[in-house]
Formats: sequence, structure tokens, C-alpha cells
Amino acid sequence: MNYEGFCTRDALVNWLDDLAGQVSLVIPVNDSGFLLYRQVVSVADIAWLVGESGPSTEQMYPHRPVLAVKEMFFPSTEPLVKIKKKAQQVLLEETLPDKPQVVFGVTPCDARGVRIMDNIFIEDLPADAYYTRRRENVTMVGLACQEMGESCFCTSLGGALDDPSDMDIMLTEFEEGFLIQVVTEKGRSLLGKQKFYSDTSTLNLDQVTNRATHAAISPLIPIPDIEAMPRLFNHEIWDRLAESCLSCRICSYVCPTCRCFDLRDEMLPSENGYECYQRIRCWDSCSRDAYRRIAGGHTPRATEAERLRNRIFCKFNYSPRQYGLEGTVACTGCGRCIDACPVNIDITEILGCLAEVVNE
Amino acid sequence: MNRKVDKNQMIPYLGKITQVNDLAADIKLLGVELSNGGAEAFCDYNPGQFAFLSAFGVGEAPFGIASTVNRGNVLEFAVQRLGSVTTALHELGEGDYVGVRGPMGNSFPMEQFQGKNLVVLGGGIGGAPLRPVIQTILDNRNDYGHFSILWAARHSSLLIFTEEYENWRMAPDTELHLTVDRADKLWGHNIGLITDLLEKVAPSAENAIAITCGPPVMIHFTGKMLSKLGFQPKQCYVTLEARMHCGIGKCGRCNLGNKLICVDGPVFSMAEVGELLESFL
Repeated sequence: MNYEGFCTRDALVNWLDDLAGQVSLVIPVNDSGFLLYRQVVSVADIAWLVGESGPSTEQMYPHRPVLAVKEMFFPSTEPLVKIKKKAQQVLLEETLPDKPQVVFGVTPCDARGVRIMDNIFIEDLPADAYYTRRRENVTMVGLACQEMGESCFCTSLGGALDDPSDMDIMLTEFEEGFLIQVVTEKGRSLLGKQKFYSDTSTLNLDQVTNRATHAAISPLIPIPDIEAMPRLFNHEIWDRLAESCLSCRICSYVCPTCRCFDLRDEMLPSENGYECYQRIRCWDSCSRDAYRRIAGGHTPRATEAERLRNRIFCKFNYSPRQYGLEGTVACTGCGRCIDACPVNIDITEILGCLAEVVNE
Repeated sequence: MNRKVDKNQMIPYLGKITQVNDLAADIKLLGVELSNGGAEAFCDYNPGQFAFLSAFGVGEAPFGIASTVNRGNVLEFAVQRLGSVTTALHELGEGDYVGVRGPMGNSFPMEQFQGKNLVVLGGGIGGAPLRPVIQTILDNRNDYGHFSILWAARHSSLLIFTEEYENWRMAPDTELHLTVDRADKLWGHNIGLITDLLEKVAPSAENAIAITCGPPVMIHFTGKMLSKLGFQPKQCYVTLEARMHCGIGKCGRCNLGNKLICVDGPVFSMAEVGELLESFL
């Protein structure tokens, strides 16, 4: 590992506080009882960051936020164009986001999710203008996880608790401070000339290596082979797996790689005699019953089983093929869908069942 | 990551409605003229491609383009009133503006069809994206072999492009067969499903291509009948639809297995999607 430097917790907090005054700083905070990536104006009262102890701190950190960092690039609701109408006249105003942002405390699984979203929204041409703009505007500062959460299985999918590969800057907690890795040029320019860190030559870094190997010994979830997936398509197992599904869609909304969206026009207050609307896109989910309805009212994938099957296939077969994910699947192993599901559908159990069927 | 975005694909061109014609009960043909970048974007679209139409303030929906570039600059769309967007489009008149995004998707490989005998099967509003195929064949009649058009609708009042049937019939080496599920008293043609009509007409599969568009259940059973008549999957083409929202492979709503209808389609050969169609029913 190539560490740029080491900083104390206090130095980090001061640096972030400075940043918060200059750019929009986003950091996992307690928002009405949920840990969410949210913009802050000061970091002084963020308990987990400033190192205060207490029950709330233990609950909230280092577990990942409830919603993935994807919402910084692909918000749950996003205006695309403003529409102004007067008689037969129509005016369109593009509403591209334009705000530099630093997101601090990104989990490695979330950064990996962003890489998968990059494949869909940027690498697969034509690129999506809104996502691309947000991506350009955002610098991601990662924070290594200290341990696997109860529902986490990132290591089964090639992730690691301190994987820096999809960050701009990566921090790993070490002794009384943080080790700093600079991953991209964007990360380097964010650090700038402010020397709030020292070099690592005097530190004994063996401990860090130990943590990285810790991940390798956690039990791995079997992932069905992409080539074997088609054999599972018509298997009766889907009926059983989806038996309790409520089609509530929460699995998609918390997922770092679900990217289905809906498009609709919403009315805005009128301006100078113009009727005004904005065209928005908002998250949608393939587990919704009418999601796939087509002209004439026909609805393919009418059952929960077909929809669950589509979601699993999308992650482990379709998206890797459609978007050339190069050996990875469109699941980061963050385990959010397991925590969020109101009827305890567990993707790791599904994957286990599928692996069993494949091996029959 | 430094990919430049040449154009924001989600911003529609403005299109002026220049004509509105009633095609059938609750189906209108909108003629739309584009200017500025829109006219350039649509200067060489191909049969089978689709576009999004916006009714501003209500929303947007995809439609197969029902016209061909060779017959003029006006884009034509057959719009059946079914939901909020199509209802709003039906309320517009000449001089009103709609949004247009496109042209999108692949198209029918018309050049590969040259020299072949062609069977076009259109069901209901599904006939709209096949009209450019028919027009291309009729405009270049010598390039193609025998031409059969099998045209169907649930009711005789829902048949589209009725005013053009005479031209289709009059074209050399061309036959038109009509069928409806139910008809009014003056109906002098077949009554029944298009699959029954197909079995009766029984076009030869030799050196032939079949092209189908209609409701999923029709596509499915037409495919089975074509197979019975000796058509191989690679000889059968379909054009599919989904309630998609981007047209550029992002919104995820139009997947058919690992294909996306918007970018991999909407035109597919049955060799590509035959098995996947089961999940479409």
C-alpha cells in the first residue's frame, strides 16, 4: 500500500471544517434517526467523526449509510428540463446540476457501486448528461470499514474493507488517526497544498495489512456463475423465493446499483404569464407490478416471482453483459436490501439456493 | 471518466404539429415538422426506428415512426388514446408544439430483405411502425420479391391506414389480406385471428422474410404459425415495445432478458429473442 501520509483525527476534522466553508461537503450524518449522506455546514457536531463515544456512535459507525452514495450522482428525484408554455409558444430550459461537491466517508462498497453506475451512465454511449455532470463535480473521499456488518458480503464479490480503487482519496483509520491514500488526480487537487498530514515513515504499518487479510477469512457467499444463470431461468425455485415479496421496491431504492427511473412532468408556479413545469426523473423499480406495463394495458412479468427473477438476473447476468462489467456483477455485497426488506428476503440466501440448484 | 457529453439526450427538439388526421377510432395520425437541430437529427432515419413524443406538462412516451424520409420532411406518428400522454397528444391541434427525441433504436435491415419475398403482419396499432416498411417496399418495388400484407385489428373500426389499402393492393405482385376479431355489417373480409389468416394464406417460406408487429400475444402465436409454415427463426423479424423513458440504454425499463429494446432493438430477429419472448407474455 502506498500511503501519502498520516493525519490525526483533529487535523482531519479541521481540514473538513475548512472544506465545508468552501464547497458543498456531504458526510454520513444522523438525519431523523437514519444515517444518510447529507450536506453539512460544519463537522463539529458529527459525533462519530470527532471521536465522541456513546451508544448512538456505536450504532451508526462504521456501518454504511441507509441509502447508497449513488444518490449524490443519481438523486431519487431530479429535474431534467424546465418547460414554459404560453399559448402555442414553448420554451425549454435545461437544468443541469452545477455544484462542486466533496463526499466524505464513502464506503468501499458504495464506491464500487459508483463504478458500476459509471459503466451504465457514462461508459455506455451516449452518456447521460446529468449523471456525468454530477460525477465530474463530485470528489469522493473514502473511509475504510473497520469490520463487516451483519448483512455485509462485499468480500464474496471481490470487495475489501479498505479497497481504495474507486475513490479519489482513501482514508484508513489507524491508531489515533487516519492513513491517507491519494487515488486520483482529482483527489490530489482536493488535498491541495494544505499539509495537515505527516509522512508515514515512522509508523509500523503491519497492523493495516492484517486488517486487509481479515476480510479474506469471513465466510464467502456462493455467487452463481454468469454462464450457468440461464439454466436457472425456468426453474420453479423463483416461486418459492418470491413467495413473501410485497413488491414494495425498497430493495431497489437502497441498492447502490439499481438505476431504473421513471419520467414525469410536474407543475411549477407560473411565471410572467407562462405555465411552468419541470420534467423530472425519479427512481423506479422492476419489482413494481405495473412497471413493465405496455400499450394496451398488457403487463409482462405479472408475478412477484418473475419480477424477483428479473432483479436477480439483472444484477448477476444481464447488466454484466449489457454494460461490459468485466468480470464483476452489478451487486456490491453491501447488504442494504437484506436490512431493508420488510419480509426478510435475503439476497445471500437466494444466491445460496441458486448455487445449490446449479450444482445439482 | 473524461467522456465528453456531446448532447443532452433527454432534451427534446420542438416539433410543430402540421397535420392531424383521424386514422381509426381513438387513433390519430400526427404530422410533426421539426426545425433547428431536430430536422438535422431526423434527416436520415430508417424504417423501424422510434422517437419520444412529449405532451409538454403531461409527459413523454415512445412511438414507432410511421413515415419514411423519402416521402417528405413531415414525421408521422400514429397515436392511440390510451393513457395520459396519448390523451394529451390527442388534444393538440395544428400549430401546437410537441417535444420529439430521437430517432432511436435500430431499424429493419431493408437492404438484406432485397430480392426476398416479404410477408408483413400488422396487428392493431402495431401496424404503425410497419408502414415505413410497406412504403419502402412499394417505393422500390423492383428491389423486393412477392409482397404479402396481412393486416388485423380487434374491430374493423380499429384498422389503421385504411385510405392506403387501395394503393397497397394496386402495387405489382402485392396482396393485402384483412382480418378483424369483430366487424360491423358492411365488413366484406375475414373474421378471425391473424394466425388463422396466416394459415389460410400460407405464404411459402422459401426465400422469404416475415415481419411482425402487434400485441405480445399476437407476436408469440404468429411466430408459432410461421414456424409451422416452415419459416426459420432467422427469417422472422419482430419489432417490440416497452414503456421506456430514455431510449439510450439507461432507464432500464425495456429489458427483455439481457437485451434492451431501446438500443438492441426495437427490431429483432426471432433467432435473437425467440426464447426471451416467453417472458414478455
